[in-house]
Parts: sequence; structure tokens; C-alpha cells
Amino acid sequence: MALNGNTDIAVVYHTRAAPQARLVVTHPRRSVLTCNLFLPHAVPAYRKIGGAAVKGGENGMGKIKVIAAVGAVAVVLAAGGYWLSRPAVIDPAEVAEAEAAIALTEFPETVLWGDTHLHTDNSIDAFGFGVRLGPEDALKFARGDEVTSTTGIKAKLARPLDFLVIADHSDGLGVMRRIYDAPRIAIRDETLRRWYDMMHESPQQSARATAELISAAGAGTLPEAMMDPERREETATDIWNDQLRVLDRYYRPGKFTPLAGFEYTYQPDGNNLHRVVMFRDGIERTSKVLPYPGLTEEIGGLFDYMDAYEQATGGKVLAIPHNSNLSNGLMFELTDAGGGPMSAEYARRRASREPVVEATQIKGDSETHPFLSPNDEFADFGKKGWDIGNLTLSRAKADPMYAGEYLREALKRGLSIEQRTGVNPYKFGMIGSTDSHTSLATGDEDNFFGKHTGNEPSAARANAPQNLGTQVGRFGWNYLAGGYAAVWARANTRAEIFDAMMRREVYATTGPRMVVRFFGGFDFTDNAFEGNWVRAGYKNGVPMGGELVDGGKAPRFLVSALKDPDGAHLDRVQIIKGWTAADGTAREKVYDVVWSDNARRRPVNGKVPAVGDTVDRAKASYTNSIGAPELRAVWTDPDYRAGERAFYYVRVLEIPTPRWPLFDALRFDMTLSPEAVDDAVAQERAYSSPIWIGPPAR
Amino acid sequence: MTLPAWTREPIVHFLAAAAALFLYFAWVGEPADPASRTITVTREDRAAMALQWERTMQRPPTDAELDALVEIFLREEVLYREAIRLGLDRDDTVVRKRLANKMDYLAASMAETAVVSDDVLAEWLAQYPERFAPDVRYSFDQMYFAERAAAAAALTSAPTNGESISLPSAFENASRSEVEGRLGRAFTATLDTLEPGSKWAGPVASGFGWHVVRLRAREIGKAPTLAEIRGEVEADWRGSTEAQRKKDAYELLRGAYRVTVQK
Repeated sequence: MALNGNTDIAVVYHTRAAPQARLVVTHPRRSVLTCNLFLPHAVPAYRKIGGAAVKGGENGMGKIKVIAAVGAVAVVLAAGGYWLSRPAVIDPAEVAEAEAAIALTEFPETVLWGDTHLHTDNSIDAFGFGVRLGPEDALKFARGDEVTSTTGIKAKLARPLDFLVIADHSDGLGVMRRIYDAPRIAIRDETLRRWYDMMHESPQQSARATAELISAAGAGTLPEAMMDPERREETATDIWNDQLRVLDRYYRPGKFTPLAGFEYTYQPDGNNLHRVVMFRDGIERTSKVLPYPGLTEEIGGLFDYMDAYEQATGGKVLAIPHNSNLSNGLMFELTDAGGGPMSAEYARRRASREPVVEATQIKGDSETHPFLSPNDEFADFGKKGWDIGNLTLSRAKADPMYAGEYLREALKRGLSIEQRTGVNPYKFGMIGSTDSHTSLATGDEDNFFGKHTGNEPSAARANAPQNLGTQVGRFGWNYLAGGYAAVWARANTRAEIFDAMMRREVYATTGPRMVVRFFGGFDFTDNAFEGNWVRAGYKNGVPMGGELVDGGKAPRFLVSALKDPDGAHLDRVQIIKGWTAADGTAREKVYDVVWSDNARRRPVNGKVPAVGDTVDRAKASYTNSIGAPELRAVWTDPDYRAGERAFYYVRVLEIPTPRWPLFDALRFDMTLSPEAVDDAVAQERAYSSPIWIGPPAR
Repeated sequence: MTLPAWTREPIVHFLAAAAALFLYFAWVGEPADPASRTITVTREDRAAMALQWERTMQRPPTDAELDALVEIFLREEVLYREAIRLGLDRDDTVVRKRLANKMDYLAASMAETAVVSDDVLAEWLAQYPERFAPDVRYSFDQMYFAERAAAAAALTSAPTNGESISLPSAFENASRSEVEGRLGRAFTATLDTLEPGSKWAGPVASGFGWHVVRLRAREIGKAPTLAEIRGEVEADWRGSTEAQRKKDAYELLRGAYRVTVQK
């Protein structure tokens, strides 16, 4: 029954299985309310009506229909009245109180593990690929509960995550709104009757019901609903607000932290310029805005949106670029977004709004590329398939594009631009994440649930072609299991995690949970690792993500890498330096700082030989008979030159371990293609955020 | 005072409510049926677009920005209507799945908004105590050795500090998940088998090597009361009943179908 243009009430009653009525109320401000009434057993006085309904189902439908419908409406009105005035599920004051009760340590003592980039069924593409799990399942899975994946497989993390950002496409929400309205129309009076009748006629008829309803609605009612932008806004708001409420419900300060976010999906011509946008705040602030659309809006608009949010609410928000490897050279350009010379203002905005970048995820690794770093024998990780074109493969890759796509080169470009304009636009830290579209935030090789639901565990997925557009060229095994974001925070709260990202005290891993410390300073002694060296690191230097002011003395670094307690031993720890030479060009060099098994591994021509390989391909297993549980060193830059701008970041390499296709081959007793076998073993790794050194700011 | 018997009849309640509804909507009126090839963007529509812009950007749009919004809206609307006319929505997997999902959403939204009583939650807590049990907490000292023999020797010989590694030598009241995160699953499992006391035990294996351990205390937390964890219980109840509600709603609809699967 259509009440007016805005509120619909419908009654579906159904008598065959049990005498009961089902009520559906839609209201533009409150989305949809439904309840099932169990007429005969609820109230004795109503028992005869229930009985009549049963009887009526067999004999005279019309009269009973009216009675049941009217009764249902009365109950709905009462329920609706309460519903419209219902309280928010979690009081923000309660959340604030729980946060305030969490003690902060003196300095960041434990590393928090999380995923900043997870899609659920609120993302239109994730949905299209078939995912049925929503934000609640995503949060449960991330905190360590067992859930059932869309394809019916039990899924559980071996170790829970500490935080999660659900980052559904903002345009997903927008596109979805449109279709979202269709069922509402479907439960209008005429269409409801049609649907109801068809449902009762035959399976063939009912199978066509939905499509016919949309079609009928399209000719008449549907455009009326679609033409009401206010209503569309309300539905988007509902989805966003529902999600914010769910996040607050699962927030356990000190234990598990969900953060609000969305993905801005700007991709001109299929060139990936996506960002995850992440909020520091709870529902009292985040509900004041809507996710910013990305399909038609350039990056300046996103920054305006972020400025406006902070000014209007006093909250904080940051953006995380990802898959620069699929941007065809556009993510880290030397020019501004319009192709003009980079202004100091644009550079400042990029740097302040994008403190961290995703270095690695399911769709490949963006640290560096063999084309850019020909002397780096570890640069080919996560490149196969990804470096042939942009996201949708609508444009092939050309060599000049690489420099705008990979993080090491971007950090170098940042130094060059800083030399010219005084501002470094690309002064970012590094994290890993999954970008999973299955609601399952897992980056573990032995627990890989695929890029999307169509790629959940199956015998076929590793060898099969798998592309995200209509063009072909990529295969299942090209996909990585994904990475995690490691955050050095003083406690597990939204504010602490967000602030750690702002100061770039974070690092990326490709899945394993190795613990990486990195301090830069000028006064570290050779025996700096004695006693409480972490406190000394904070006191006498800056942690990863920090900046040193050049004082004419070579910087020294404390670097420590502890293996994943349930993972593989470590091969080596490297420091990667980028700098601007006297002629203005940017250079890079990889230093092997400390490595395992050093009795048998003497550097040859300045390079440490490979650690070896213990992987049993048939069993998807390895042994920790090579490598080391911990590697640490005090290191001084041997090539320091006073006055130059430089950055240093750490790369930690594990010994070779099996990738997910080998686990699949074992599990499904299938044979991998020769190309997949070639790529079935890899050295998982961590990338720290850099420490910069340069002349005092102008 | 007793009311006449007819006032207790449900049918009377329904009719009264129906009459009230009828009068209300007779007064408010039904929406106009829009002509299918006419798109009118009213002042109100424009105002609503401006409002949404303001909601997103925290400032009103300029005239040019508003015009652009209208253009985007029109383009989408025209293409959308033409697509519907051509029947592009039929046999479209995404549309089909989306509608199915919305039907699910309809069913689940009641669970999302219902207010739940303490009684229901208390029963829920009693039914699933394991879901809300607090983590076991451990207080212990540990020394690390790369080799098993060295660890075994440390148990019998003079006190040492163990070998150097970036792990805390003492854990105070650390939760099981924290210990597992720092020292791994194998170590934590062994920790559960040790008797708390002042004696050193081991060697205990971990992913790093070998440890000797002095487990000072192991506390199995007391079961929390509903008042302490109401929010957590409510979240769990919501999540679980939502799934059940979707299932029930589906069963209800499913029951009305005669399904023949031809083999």
C-alpha cells in the first residue's frame, strides 16, 4: 500500500507454512522496517483471526486479507512510532569513555596489525562478483571469529587483526542507491500484488517476477522514485550510517579497532588513481558527511572534501593512495594533476593529505620495478602480470610510465621536486593491505580467499585467466595473497592508530608479521643495542617516518628485525637509500646491512649471495634450517655527503617460502601451469617507512 | 468501569486504525504518475542536490557546480530509463543479485533496529558463555637461547640472562593473544601446560629458538556480568539473530514455491 510519496507500507501474509503476516514499511529517513507477525499464538484474542487466516488461505482470500492487512498496519504504526524515535545503538559518550580508560605506554611498545583496505557487500563491484558477507562478518573475521565465506567455506584467521578499515567504494554506494530503490517500489501496492501473485503461480513465473517488476516500475513508478535526489541521498546516508553504527558496536578500545573509511575510485581511462580515505573519528563526526564520489571527481576535489570535513567537524581524515603500479604513470607525476608545473601548494596538499601509501597488496607490489632498479635482484616480487598495463588493461604499459608508478622512484622524485620548489609532495610512509573484495581480511599465503568471491578457493583459480576488465592478460597466480599494515602505536585506539599513520611510524609487510624497528640519529654508539635500546632510540633519534636535519655529520641508524614468531626465518636486512646528486638527478642504492648464515655468505662484488631455498614444492612446506630469527645492526651511511637530501628505508627479506598457489595445488591435488610453478616460491618481505635527511626547512 | 465487549474485538481495532490511515492519506494524496519521457527537475530537486553537495563538501555549491550536478543527474537518469526500456536489467547478474540482497536486507533490518531487553541478553550470555569469556592472562619471565642444549644447561647451572633478542624478559598480566602475538602459538600452548610458581621450567620451544620460563601467575578471568559487557553481548546477539532472521525470512518465501529441479 502506498501511503504517500515517501512512506510505503506493505503486508505480505502467507498462510501455507504457518499462519503469519509479514510487514514491510519503508520510510525515506529510516530505510526499511520489517517484522513477521505470528498471529495465532501471540495474543489469545487474535487467535481466531489467525485461524481464520489459515482457513481463508484455502477458501475466501479477500476478506481475511483485508483483516490481516489492517491489523498488521496498526501494529506497524505503533512499532514505527517507536522506531522513528529510537536511540543510536552506541552512545558516542560511551565510546569516548572506553577510549579514555585505555592507558598509553611511554612510547610505542607493541606493533598493531591491520588491514586498511577491505571491501564488503556494500561495494558494488564486490557485490557483482558475488560476495554476500557484509561489514559485520568482516569485523568478526578480522577480530578472530570463524565465519562462513560466501562460497560456503569456513574461514578464520590464525591470528586476529588489531584494527580494520572497511573501505567500500564511495561510488559503489552511489550506484547502489539507484538499484536500492527498486525493491521499495516492488513492495508498493500494485507491484506487490503482482509479485505476490506470480510467486504463487509457478516457479517459471516467479523467476521472472523480479525482472518484470523492475521493468513495470521503470515505465511508471520507478522514475518517480529515482527522480527524488533527496531520497537517494537518504538511502546513501542510511548505508553509511548503518555502517558507522556497526563499527562503533565492534570497537573495543585496547583490543580491536574498526575505523571508518571509504575508497575514492578515480580512474580516468582505467588508470588507477584510487585512494582509501580513513577517518580518525567516531559516528558523532563521521555521520556529518557522506563518502566523496570518485568516478568523476579529480583529486583536488577530494582534498577540498577532506579540508571541509576537518573544518566543519574538528575531526581528522587522511588518504592512502594504492595500486600506483596500475596508474600508467599518473600516481606520482613530476607535474601537478592538470599537467602543469607542480606548485608548492599542490605539493604541500599531497604531502599533508597522503602521509602513507600502500606499497603492497593483492593486485601486486609497488615498491620498485626491475626497469627502474636494474641492480636490485629483489625488485621483481609481485610484478608479473601487473606491469603489462593499467587496472582494466585498457592501455598497455610503456617504459616511461614506470617512474610515476613505483614508491621508491616517487620518493626520489619527491626529493627532486623539494629541491626545486621547497616542498616534497611524496614524503610518505609505507603500509601493506589486502584490498580483498570478499569481506575477509586475510593476507596469509595458506589462508588466501582471493581478490573477490569469484576467486575463493577452488582447483581452477590459480591457473585460470583472471582480469578486472574486458581485456585479458592476467592469471590467477599473478595475484598476491595481500599484505598487512603494521602500526607502532601507544595503544590500540582510533586516535593512536590514525596519529601513527600521520607521523608515518608504520611499515608494510606482504603478510608475515615480522617486527621491524628503525631509528635514525647522529649519536648512536656501536653498543647501542645494550639495555633498553628502544627507549634510547626514541630519546636519541627519530623512529621510522621521522626527519633528520643535516648537520654535516653522517646519519647512523638502528635497525632491528625480529621474525614472525609463527613464520619463516629472515634472510637479510637491507637499507635502501635515495638521494639527489650534485647535478640534481635522483639516485638510489641498496645496502645489505646484516644477513643470516654469514659464515658461508661472503659478499661478492658488494652483494650478499642468495640464502638458499628449503621449500618442498610438493608439500608446500619449508624448514627454518637457514636464515636467522633476528637480525639487527647499527649502520652508518658510508656514502654520506654533507648538504644532500636523502631518504633511507629498510627492507627485510624472509627466506623463500611457498606462495598460495602451492597450497592450492596441495589442497586440491591439481597441477600448476609451468608459469605458475616458476612463481610459486617467493621471499616475503617488509618495507619500513623512510627516514629523511636534508637541510633545515626554508 | 468495563468497556462494552465489542471494544475488545480485534476487528474493531483494525478498522479504527484503517479509518485513521485512510483519512490521513486521502488528505495527503497519492504521488503523481510521472510521464515516462518527461524529466522535470524542480526547484526542490535542485535544492536537494545542493543539500547533498553541502552535506558532502560542507559548503553550498556555486551556480556552475549546481548546473554540473543537474547535468550529471540528467545524464544518468536518461541512460537509466533507456536501459530499463531496453530491458537491460533482465538477465543481468548484478541487478539480480542486488535485488536478492535487498530482499535479504529487508528481512534483516528489523534485527538491526529492534531494541533488545536485558532478559534476552542475559539468556544469550548464559547460552554462549564461551564467546564472552575473557582472555587468560599470564605473568612470566623468560630467557632466550638459540640452541636447546644451552637452554637446558641454563636450567641447572648458575643464573644467566640468556642470549640477546628483542623480546621482553618479563611479561606482566599479558593476555593470551598478546603472548601469542609476541612469542607464537607453540610457545603459548606450552605455557598452558606449566604450573605457576617460582621455579624455572623448560626448555620451551618457540619460533625463535628455546626459552626457559618462570611462570609466576596464570589467571583465568572471571566470567563477566551482563552489566559489564552489555554492548558486546548486544553486538553478538544482533549479528546472530540477523543471520537467523534472514534465514527465517527466506524459508518463509521459499515455502511458497514449488521447485522442480530437472536432472
